Amino acid sequence: MLRTRQVAASPVRSASATWTVIANLVADTVAQSSLLPRAEAEQALSAAETVGRMLIAAGHLEGHPITLVAGNVHCEITTVFGTAALTLEENLNPIPGAASATSFTIYLPSPAPLQDQVKAAASTHARLSDAAPPVPQTAAASVGPLIDRAALQRAVTPR
Amino acid sequence: MTSTYTYTYSRTHTATHLTDVILGTISDILADLKVNTDRLRREWVENENAIKAWIEEGSLDAVVLECHQPSGTVAPVIEFPVSYTTAGEGNAEFTASRARLARFRAKVDRVPAGTTYRLFCTFRAPRTEQPGWGPGQRASTDGLRGITFGNLGSAPHASAGMRYHYI
Repeated sequence: MLRTRQVAASPVRSASATWTVIANLVADTVAQSSLLPRAEAEQALSAAETVGRMLIAAGHLEGHPITLVAGNVHCEITTVFGTAALTLEENLNPIPGAASATSFTIYLPSPAPLQDQVKAAASTHARLSDAAPPVPQTAAASVGPLIDRAALQRAVTPR
Repeated sequence: MTSTYTYTYSRTHTATHLTDVILGTISDILADLKVNTDRLRREWVENENAIKAWIEEGSLDAVVLECHQPSGTVAPVIEFPVSYTTAGEGNAEFTASRARLARFRAKVDRVPAGTTYRLFCTFRAPRTEQPGWGPGQRASTDGLRGITFGNLGSAPHASAGMRYHYI
C-alpha cells in the first residue's frame, strides 16, 4: 500500500538537518523488523547522505521522492520547502508495515542534473538504488475483491 | 468568511533558506557543468554552517563560484549577492526561483574536462570566524561579460540574487 510522508525542509531546517530527519524516519521504520538491523539502514543512509543534502537544497525532493520499500511498506518521502514548510504538520513516526520485512531497499530519485551523483552514491551500498521503484501493491490486490459476486448471484436466483 | 493561518519566522529562518537556495544552485550548476562535486559534498556542512552564520549576522555580501579551467582561464564566474532589509519590511514569503533557474542553467557555457571550482565569500561588515574558511584571492572578472539573473530567492530579512560572468 502506497504511503507518503512529508518532511519540512528550508527554512525550518537546513539541508543537512532535513536529511537527518529523513534518515531517522527510514531507520526507525526498518528497525521495526526483527530481521533487519537498524545499523544496516543507517549505513545505507550514511552512504547517501552527501547526495541527499544536494537533492534537498536544490529542491529536487519536493517533486522526486525517496522511496522506501520494506515488507508491506512502500512509502514515498518528499520535502516541503519555503513558506509552506512553516505550517506543515509532520508525521515522523515509523511507517507501519515493516514488522515482517525481511529485506529493504531505499530508492533514490535521480533528477537532472544530479543523475551521476545519485548513481555514484547508489553504487556504494547494496540497499540503495537509483532505479525507478516498483509499482506499489494496491490494497485491492492484497485483500481480494470487495464484492462477493457469488453471494450476489445467490441473492438474485429465483426460488 | 475568511480564515487566516499565522506563522512566525526569524532571521535564522531567513539565513537557513537563503543558504539552501545558494548551495542548492551551486550544486546544480556544477553538476550541469560536469565539474567534480566530491569536495562540495565533503565540505557541505562547513559551507552550510558558515554561510548561514554570516547571513544571520548580516556580514555576508556575496558568495562567489569560480570555475578554473585547465588552460588557466577562470570562467564562468557566478556571484550570489545577498541584500538585507530591515526586519519585517521584506517579503514575508520564503521563495526560490527554481523553474526560472533551471531554464537559465541550460544556457550556461560548458567547460572543458578537468575544470575545478573555488568558492569565495565577500563581506560588507566584520564577520565571525568559521571553520574551514580562510583568506583567499578572487580572480578578476575584467574582460568577462555579465548577465544579471535577478532574484534567486527571497525571505523576510534578506534576498539572494545571481550574476553570471562569462567569456
